[in-house]
Amino acid sequence: MNCKTLHKELIFFLEGDLPLEKREQLEAHLNECPDCAAFAADMKKTLQVTEDEKSTEVNPFFYTRVKAKLENSETQHIGIFEKVFLRKVLQPVFFSILLIIGVYSGIKIGQPTPVNVFSSTQFDQETVPYLNEMETESIETFLME
Amino acid sequence: MSEAEIIEKLKSGSEPAFKQLVENYQKLVVNTCFGMVHNKHDAEDIAQDVFIEVYRSIHKFRADAKLSTWLYRIAVNRSLNFIRDNKKRKWFQSFEDSVETKTKALQNLAATKSDHPGFQLENQQRAVLLHEAIAALPKNQKVAFTLSKYEDLSYSEIAEVMDLSVSSVESLLHRAKKNLQKKLYRCYKKKCL
Ligand SMILES: [Zn+2]
Repeated sequence: MNCKTLHKELIFFLEGDLPLEKREQLEAHLNECPDCAAFAADMKKTLQVTEDEKSTEVNPFFYTRVKAKLENSETQHIGIFEKVFLRKVLQPVFFSILLIIGVYSGIKIGQPTPVNVFSSTQFDQETVPYLNEMETESIETFLME
Repeated sequence: MSEAEIIEKLKSGSEPAFKQLVENYQKLVVNTCFGMVHNKHDAEDIAQDVFIEVYRSIHKFRADAKLSTWLYRIAVNRSLNFIRDNKKRKWFQSFEDSVETKTKALQNLAATKSDHPGFQLENQQRAVLLHEAIAALPKNQKVAFTLSKYEDLSYSEIAEVMDLSVSSVESLLHRAKKNLQKKLYRCYKKKCL
């Protein structure tokens, strides 16, 4: 075994993934090559990190935090629901009402209103009876003539 | 309370059952998230969301499935989403540069904490190196490696969580280790620690 082969297999050796025969070849090389032995020692320490990091103790406040977060997100949930309700339901209703009011007042404004012009000029006074006649005469009587 | 009892009670909204579930599986979920994101605070934060998701979707849980498999899946997916949303590594920063920046920061921190005997600089730097190397792995290799190293799951258990064949998991772990070895060797040669 040479150094290059060892570098390719070292992690599997350290992880215990190699069959016995391979393992013995690597061990033999490590015993006679200080460079590879130093690298192997270094890598072993680095790989040890995951073992040291596995948490053994649990955070005693964990459940309290989960519960607080859950309750918090539930109120937010309602908040979102209200927002959607406001936008999807109340807003169209509001605009429909506005539209109906608009149309209704449009009709009202559009309807001919009796105009009081008696106090104005003489010329106007002459036309007034005619206008009044038109207004009082219903469409039916107009057609019957 | 047995696992089946916990699930049954949880489906009817029982709070003691939820508390029991969190207590039973807190370590499993936090450890898995930590193996993926390598930060204790973030891992606990993600783990809290995992349990909230479980609480909200317990009605979807099939009685014939394993609760731990389900928890591992949610923990892995949420961690992957977290990593996706928090890509802090800049695309132009090489692996070595990234390790160097972080270990330098640790050295500065160590200088201010020199009176603190619990602070072991070398181990912290090694942790940074390994975390950066794991973070640089492709997604599936990272998941398989984390479940294997941080949770000691067998190939078949990892296969179940990841919904893959056992031989695919074997191949993922093999490639993950090869990639890690390459990075660790490069770092060793350049003396980046
Ligand atoms: Zn050698």
